[in-house]
Amino acid sequence: MELLVSGRQRSARKILVDIGYYAGVVAICIPFVFVFYWMVLGAMKTQVQNTASPPLFWFSPTFANFYKVFVANQLLTYIENSFAVSGGATLAALILGLPAAHAIARYRQRGVAIGILLARMAPHLSYIVPFFILFQKLGWIDTYASMILSHLVITLPIVVWIMIGAFEDVPLELEEAARIDGCSRWRVFTRISFPVCRTALATATILSFIFSWNNFIFALILTGPDRRTLPVAVFNFISGDEIDWGGLSAAATLITLPILLLILFVQRHIVQGMTAGGLKE
Amino acid sequence: MPVQHAVETTPSLGAQTPRGFRPGEFFERHFGRLLPLPAALTIAALIIFPLAFNLYMSVQAWFVSSTTPPEFVGLKNYLEIFGKDARFWNATWITVKFTTLSVALQLVLGLAIAVYLHRDFRGRGLVRTVMLLPMVSTPVAVALIWVIMFNPSLGILNYFLTSLGLKPLLWLGHPRTVLPSLILMDTWKWTPFMVLIIHAGLQSLPLTPFEAARIDGASRWQVLRYITLPLLRSTIAVALMFRTMDSLKTFDTIYVMTEGGPNNASEILNIYTFQTGFKYFHIGYASALAVILIVFVFAVNLLLVRLRERSWSY
Amino acid sequence: MFGRFACVLIACGLLLSPTLVGAASFDWQVLKGTSIRVMANKNASGEAIQALVPDFEKLTGIKVQYETFTEDQYRQKVLLELAAGTGSVDVIHTATTQEGLKFWKSGWYEPLDDYLKNAKLTDPNFDLADISKPAIRGNTFDGKLVALPTTQQTTMLYYRKDVFDKLKLKVPETFEELEQTAKKLNNAEEAGQKMVGIVLRGKKAAATSQWAPYLFGFGGTWLKNGKPAISSPEAVKAFDFYGSLLRNYGPPGAVNYHWYECISLFVQAKAAMYTDVSNRIFFFEDPAKSQVVGKVGYALFPAGPAGRRPTMEVWSMAVSSKSKKKDAAYLFVEWAASKENVLKMHLKGAPSARASSWKDPKFLTEQKHKDWIDASLKSLDIATTDWNPPVLAVSEVRDAIGEAIVSSILGENVKAAADKANTEFAKIMEKTEGK
Repeated sequence: MELLVSGRQRSARKILVDIGYYAGVVAICIPFVFVFYWMVLGAMKTQVQNTASPPLFWFSPTFANFYKVFVANQLLTYIENSFAVSGGATLAALILGLPAAHAIARYRQRGVAIGILLARMAPHLSYIVPFFILFQKLGWIDTYASMILSHLVITLPIVVWIMIGAFEDVPLELEEAARIDGCSRWRVFTRISFPVCRTALATATILSFIFSWNNFIFALILTGPDRRTLPVAVFNFISGDEIDWGGLSAAATLITLPILLLILFVQRHIVQGMTAGGLKE
Repeated sequence: MPVQHAVETTPSLGAQTPRGFRPGEFFERHFGRLLPLPAALTIAALIIFPLAFNLYMSVQAWFVSSTTPPEFVGLKNYLEIFGKDARFWNATWITVKFTTLSVALQLVLGLAIAVYLHRDFRGRGLVRTVMLLPMVSTPVAVALIWVIMFNPSLGILNYFLTSLGLKPLLWLGHPRTVLPSLILMDTWKWTPFMVLIIHAGLQSLPLTPFEAARIDGASRWQVLRYITLPLLRSTIAVALMFRTMDSLKTFDTIYVMTEGGPNNASEILNIYTFQTGFKYFHIGYASALAVILIVFVFAVNLLLVRLRERSWSY
Repeated sequence: MFGRFACVLIACGLLLSPTLVGAASFDWQVLKGTSIRVMANKNASGEAIQALVPDFEKLTGIKVQYETFTEDQYRQKVLLELAAGTGSVDVIHTATTQEGLKFWKSGWYEPLDDYLKNAKLTDPNFDLADISKPAIRGNTFDGKLVALPTTQQTTMLYYRKDVFDKLKLKVPETFEELEQTAKKLNNAEEAGQKMVGIVLRGKKAAATSQWAPYLFGFGGTWLKNGKPAISSPEAVKAFDFYGSLLRNYGPPGAVNYHWYECISLFVQAKAAMYTDVSNRIFFFEDPAKSQVVGKVGYALFPAGPAGRRPTMEVWSMAVSSKSKKKDAAYLFVEWAASKENVLKMHLKGAPSARASSWKDPKFLTEQKHKDWIDASLKSLDIATTDWNPPVLAVSEVRDAIGEAIVSSILGENVKAAADKANTEFAKIMEKTEGK
């Protein structure tokens, strides 16, 4: 049947089909991007422009909102806090989680694996009352200590989950060869297994950092003005005399921006990481 | 091959060390159990302590507004929750509704999009990046942007509706539309997650069944229905498991957008527990709710893990 | 003879001693170099004081970390920090006639009576008697004064004077007139801007306090003989009236309107009328943020069948009982409530709790809106302080009653909602009172 159609007609049809396909791809992507587009647009509008009806797509932009959010609302402090907490929690998760993941992968420590799974399942709600009362007794409210400890509940499961798959993937022959050569198990772990999993390690670090950065509820309960992180700061942002849509959009933009920039560079890692742990075991 | 001289030597089978306890050897022999110890202890602390604490507080009555300490009341909190608390049952029902509808919608859309995108086309990397944006963005931040978009008089969504000749909606402003609105927002955020997992699953499918089908002249629809979907069973099970697990943890977005309102129409169990503990300060009662919540979540997760294991056996 | 001389001497001594001791030993700079932390609500009162904090720092040499939060979050944050008991906050901005009972019973307020008597810490010109008696009464629990009031607000009717003048409308004096006017003005257009007839708070607990004047106007009360009375016929009428006003002549999505949204709508010139507390002038006449400067009329809250029943809301500054810097905290509280400071706030539109401010000549010349002064004073004369149910678990009860308000706005069965709220109210009281 197709042989009857001339060559040129066939390629013309193919081009049309291709265009149709790409149009579909674009149509799928639009809703996902639109919200961010609208957020950035809103951040550059004045209050009057933001509350115009019908909504404005075309207007003269201003950067006053960004300035206001940064300067008037001490955003820098909160950025520092977010970095410190997420960085600390990720580091701690790596130190604790890498050995654990290796043990589960190679030494069949089922108990620990189940414990990690439970930690991931439990809703954060179930942690906040005990943590609040504990940290209050210790006087650790509004400190980095309580925040990093509570964020371990988020970061440790992620690290372990991803690294189990990675450690399992390390060729057994490599490890056995090293053992035959007389390496201690610890040496095998640090010199052989660990370096081979570099990419998965990057993935685990990135994802762990992102989910800790995004967390709201622990900061809501456990922090005060000194150690507050960005998500709570943006929540507090609703201005007193009017709903400052421009300021809110600017704050939201500034919070999501670091993460969005990060994934531009590491999207492959993230995709791998999110799908890796799932398809194994 | 030169023998590497490690500091610790692995003991040979059957050898007995003449002098009592040697740390290096002890470490080697129990390596598997010692390695995860720090993590295990941390997990024990992070899991066992809160659970035990919740259990302990759940059998007390403590209204943090008086200077009286907590008093032991046995199972009274639980009896009240199950017997007299309509708001608890409402919250449970809302949670079930929210999670099932969100996850189902995300699965269907995710499948459709993943299958559609399962082709070698230019810009694949870009599309993947675009897909990631909603997933990794800070929930609180985007939730507030959605609140702006949902505004009945000034929001962009109603503008789109009216431009298309449809009636504007109240979105977050009415008990009947609030849950669908939240589900819409959740779907926007997490469908990409489904897409990515199913995409990875599609990548790992064997090619032969598809080639055979093409030779047999099967239509695209038939391929999808009789080959793709069955082969994807375990992937779908995994996707369902993860997504449900995470969906049950939802708190940030709903709290920030509606705080459970209007009139508790979007009050999931998480939020009800939070309000009881941190707004009304009935710590004992809130702890009982937390315990019930944990049991509920674990039960659902166990079910899903079973489901996933079953999907392998065929 | 000696005895009489001694008596005279002693008498002279007694007469002179207060002035001697007082004048010599009060100095604002006595605690120079300390630092304190203040938490405040982001309302007119809190923001007005915030603007004046540099004055305090200069006056006393005490460094102040002043933090504000939007109302709902403020309530929760303050509760959390006080419950944590770590002394992380020194001064709290407090609405004693809402949460006062709860805070007092939890031991979170530091009683101020002794501080007031302490000549080293109290300015002899403080003049406690100048402060409104109902405000002081509202701040007193078990005979102890727990906070010093700065702001006293009362329910008021705000309306678009320009629109009223144009359409030759009369300011509503009764509930019926309010409804008729709202109906007439709904969807009216002025200068290309469409507006709703009336805007009111609709968000559950936030609405409860502003619904109270309507409840009282219909003759209802929170409690009757110590039992919840909000399913009484009067209360049901109040729910119905409030709900239908918003439903028929208010903005869409009103159930999510806290006072921030109401103000937002009004300053955007999108609402013709609004009833809420009297400090809105602070926002409406701010040219930087308001599009209705000079177009707003201020009137007394209208009368229901039981008469005009506006309420009074008092905001004060209090010292946290767990603070480690109580003296410095007290200086702040005292400064905030001092004559000069309160007058400055008053001039901006955060209504003063001191009689002297209202009579101040500067105020009388600067405050151009005579109708606001008039309405405020008349209203304060007849206002009641129980703008919230007088219970311990205020938050929960406000939520329960708020649900009935929301139901009414949504057009659901009002009697059923009122009954449900009343039962809930009773249940909460049973669980928490007397504990």
